Amino acid sequence: MLHRIQMNHLSVGFNGEEVLRDLSFYVPVGKMFAIIGPNGAGKSTLLKVLLGLIRPQAGEMVIEGDGKPVIGYVPQSRPIDEETPIAAKDFITLGLTSHLLPWLTRAERSKLKEIMEFTDTEMLAKKPIGRLSGGERQRVFLAQALIREPDLLLLDESTANLDPGAQEEMMRLVFRICEKRGVTVIFISHDLAQVATYADQVLLLARGKYVQGGAADLLSDQQLLAEYYQHEPVDAAQKATLESAQRQAMFH
Amino acid sequence: MFAYDFMRHAFIAGTLIAIMCGAIGVFIMARNLSFIAHTFSHIGFAGASFAVFAGLDPLIGLLLFTLLGACGVGQLGVRVFRRDAAVSVILSLALGLGILFLSLSDAQGSFTKTILFGSVVGIDLQDVWQLVGLTLFVLLVLAVGYRWLKFDSFDQTGAEAAGLPVHLISIGFLLLMAVAVSVTVQIVGALLVFALMTVPAAAARFFTQSIFGMILTAALLAMAGVWFGLSAGYYTNAPVSFYIVAFEALSYFVGLLYQRVGQMRRGEA
Repeated sequence: MLHRIQMNHLSVGFNGEEVLRDLSFYVPVGKMFAIIGPNGAGKSTLLKVLLGLIRPQAGEMVIEGDGKPVIGYVPQSRPIDEETPIAAKDFITLGLTSHLLPWLTRAERSKLKEIMEFTDTEMLAKKPIGRLSGGERQRVFLAQALIREPDLLLLDESTANLDPGAQEEMMRLVFRICEKRGVTVIFISHDLAQVATYADQVLLLARGKYVQGGAADLLSDQQLLAEYYQHEPVDAAQKATLESAQRQAMFH
Repeated sequence: MFAYDFMRHAFIAGTLIAIMCGAIGVFIMARNLSFIAHTFSHIGFAGASFAVFAGLDPLIGLLLFTLLGACGVGQLGVRVFRRDAAVSVILSLALGLGILFLSLSDAQGSFTKTILFGSVVGIDLQDVWQLVGLTLFVLLVLAVGYRWLKFDSFDQTGAEAAGLPVHLISIGFLLLMAVAVSVTVQIVGALLVFALMTVPAAAARFFTQSIFGMILTAALLAMAGVWFGLSAGYYTNAPVSFYIVAFEALSYFVGLLYQRVGQMRRGEA
């Protein structure tokens, strides 16, 4: 169980170029937290900082819990070798690394069963991962992250490549993980309607600036959104999403 | 056949080596390292020739060179060596060095043949103990590191995100592979290490989708190949490695056929 997630004055850069500057925000524990913003704003970089894969140049990152916090991560896609057709069940089991025993313990086997039921992946157990649909694959990746019993779940556009039905299914599952298992979820999304539906708090990020707020307030502020997304070539489809999100947020 | 000491030795050593090759081979395939394994075997050839030149046990030379090779690959990063050019440069350099050391030493032609194409005839009891020891060491490390290695080999993104020491795992595996190659070279020779290290593992993927199942299948296929090779070689006097390679190749094509038939039944092809 987590107690506090707080970033203080984080700065991150590569090759002399600053990607995140003096970023401070908090994430409400046990809630859904969205990171939005135009391309190149440093959203994925921020997730990698949270994961510990990138070290910030300055600032402080506080993720406090009862023990050492466990963080799960589901990226947009993974390089899956089609030549290595391992079964979905084996893929989920990969996440179990707290023992050195080559075989699964009884507790691990029942954990696996429970997680596969929860993520609705039982039917996929024996199917090779290469032969699953996009939505099925993401559910398997989510199950692999879940089996590690994370306190915090990071999703980097995990629904971006899915069809609308699969997107909805995945987000409902993520919402249930947050609600039923008390896992704090931080997700990056370009789909503002999705953010309006599922997020409690939002971090709106662009190069050199950011703002944090409640999802309903922030997404209904058209001026603010326009200001942050100004450098993004907004195509018709995205514009429609933006408008529908704003409408939805207003009636929230 | 078992009346001869050397055949008994060959069966004991060959069986264990086959099990090891099956197990490590599955990870070699998953990590896309089969050509690096092949390169290691050529570096091993240079090492064995150097050992003969320097008056050492060939196994010492094999281990020394392949382990140094593994450190080099680990240092420069595996990705560099997945490129064809880098592999062919190192392969030919290693072969060239091997030839140089052999010409400098007073080794006979039969030694060259043995190290390139393998031999089971000359295995004495001391060799068996060495091979058994090294093989058990590799298998033990694989068993202890199984979960980490499995995660990193089949899902690198996940392993990195889970905070596993992926760099350490990568180097550790290369070193283990170097030991495994050094042992295997003694049976099938430097040129045919593929036959036991990658072909059974590649074939196993056609029959099962579980990682442990692949290891088991690969080990069984390798073992069956070694037994068949030793027996057929004994009765026909043709080279053992030929029979091993032929058996493994056949198992690969049978696997391919099995997969195709399965796909056709499901209406995918």
